[in-house]
Amino acid sequence: MASNATETRENQKVLTKRDITKLGLRSVLLQASFNYERMQAGGWLYAMLPFLKKIYKNDKKGLSEAMKDHLEFINTSPPLVPFLMGLILSLEESKEKRNTINGLKVALFGPLAGIGDAIFWFTILPIVAGITASFCKDGNILGPIIFFLVYLAIFLMRIFWAHTGYSLGVRAIAKIKDNSEVISKAASILGVTVIGGLIATYVHINVLASFKISPGHSISLQKDFFDHIFPNILPLGYTFLMYYFLKKKNVSPVILILVTFVMAIILSFLGVL
Amino acid sequence: MDITLTQGIILAVIAIIAGFDFWLEGLYIFRPMIVCTLTGMALGDTTLGVVAGGLTELAFAGLTPAGGTQPPNPILAGVMTVVLAHTTGSNPSTAIGLALPFSFLMQYIILFYYSIFSVFMQKADKYAEEADTKGFARITILPMVIVALTYGVVVFLSAYVAQEPMKDLVNAMPKWLSHGFEIAGGILPAVGFGLLMKVMLKGKYLPYLMIGFLAASFIKFGNLLPVAVIGAAAAIYQFYNDKEKAELEKRVAESGNVGGGYEDGI
Repeated sequence: MASNATETRENQKVLTKRDITKLGLRSVLLQASFNYERMQAGGWLYAMLPFLKKIYKNDKKGLSEAMKDHLEFINTSPPLVPFLMGLILSLEESKEKRNTINGLKVALFGPLAGIGDAIFWFTILPIVAGITASFCKDGNILGPIIFFLVYLAIFLMRIFWAHTGYSLGVRAIAKIKDNSEVISKAASILGVTVIGGLIATYVHINVLASFKISPGHSISLQKDFFDHIFPNILPLGYTFLMYYFLKKKNVSPVILILVTFVMAIILSFLGVL
Repeated sequence: MDITLTQGIILAVIAIIAGFDFWLEGLYIFRPMIVCTLTGMALGDTTLGVVAGGLTELAFAGLTPAGGTQPPNPILAGVMTVVLAHTTGSNPSTAIGLALPFSFLMQYIILFYYSIFSVFMQKADKYAEEADTKGFARITILPMVIVALTYGVVVFLSAYVAQEPMKDLVNAMPKWLSHGFEIAGGILPAVGFGLLMKVMLKGKYLPYLMIGFLAASFIKFGNLLPVAVIGAAAAIYQFYNDKEKAELEKRVAESGNVGGGYEDGI
């Protein structure tokens, strides 16, 4: 029995070094179908799809389960995402529990986004832009050339990140396997905690409406009312409303998207939001 | 100097390529530094392109899409700054200001796409359900192609066909409409999170969702790392608890087995 298990684990190694390099390059597709509802989900899955297909071969049901899970909300740092993709694919390859994979993915993408933004948008871009722009003043073409080379290097780093994430995952798997039941629960806890944080940081509802109670004195609904009850109470409330419609009423997400969109435009027109 | 038809077409092609790159954030050739230089080359005035590139890049360095907010569009800013400097003879730093309406126009279009592309996800869900990888690839590439072609059309119209009417269009756009797009962008992730919760949230995990929400609401920090650390703490606690429980159960089961055997014996 035990030897059988190790054997299948050996057989599960279907991804080659070349595949992981390709994954690094394909990771650029992350934002292919970016949208507000699930942000990078479509591109995230699309970048990994050839490898998921290789892992699940003829297991159509397994592939469908994996595809559905990877179509859930994700928003992370594009230059760093190959790290996360490599890590997650190593778990997919060894057929870890779906809860473990989902939990880890959800827990990691948010912090990775923050780290990536801090590095790439707030540190590298101002430095590179500042230095290369000083070349441009006299029309020196070196400015744009250096700018391009820096970002080309950052792009090629994707291959390195993919391999790093993948080998980290492979090393962790042996440990995960021994406690898979317990780990899948722990990963869910970690993931759900971060979802709570995501709701507070990604959903923005700011009420602009205010009531005049006397000349020169008015009450702002947001500042004087909602913020006094609880910060982010509206984002939390709306998210749970969506959850209720999706889970209990089986309303299609498309309806919810369209209603939300139209409502946003109307409330903007009325000056409420 | 006027823009010729050939130049207009070349600019549209540059915009399509840069548009792909802006959408994917791949090679950063969508930054004004590169876009201006390429536009300058297309118009036969590389020096102007490079000079404008430096100025526009600095002007746009603080405007980043980090954290999901959409800044004025850098590609339109880049192309139009050079085009306007070239055609009107004004210096590049003035042209940056003149190019802003075009940059806003494209920003609004992108904001609109971000909301409306949410609708494609249901089709994608269907393909995932059927494990139809080809269909899924099609529905995922489609938005990217729509966006890139839009860049080509908008740049061709702005640079070659109708500069003035395009500017009027931007000025005629009511503030509430663009503001409405931004609001929709702020609320729509709630639907995504609702779907995510449908998959991952169970009653027994609700406390952790509350903890994460509370932490992120009160810890003002531009990154979810603190929340993830709290989540990790909870996960580790649960991990060791469960392991102990499992071991205890094993021991109880073992002693129980002995007892059972005894009873069976009777």
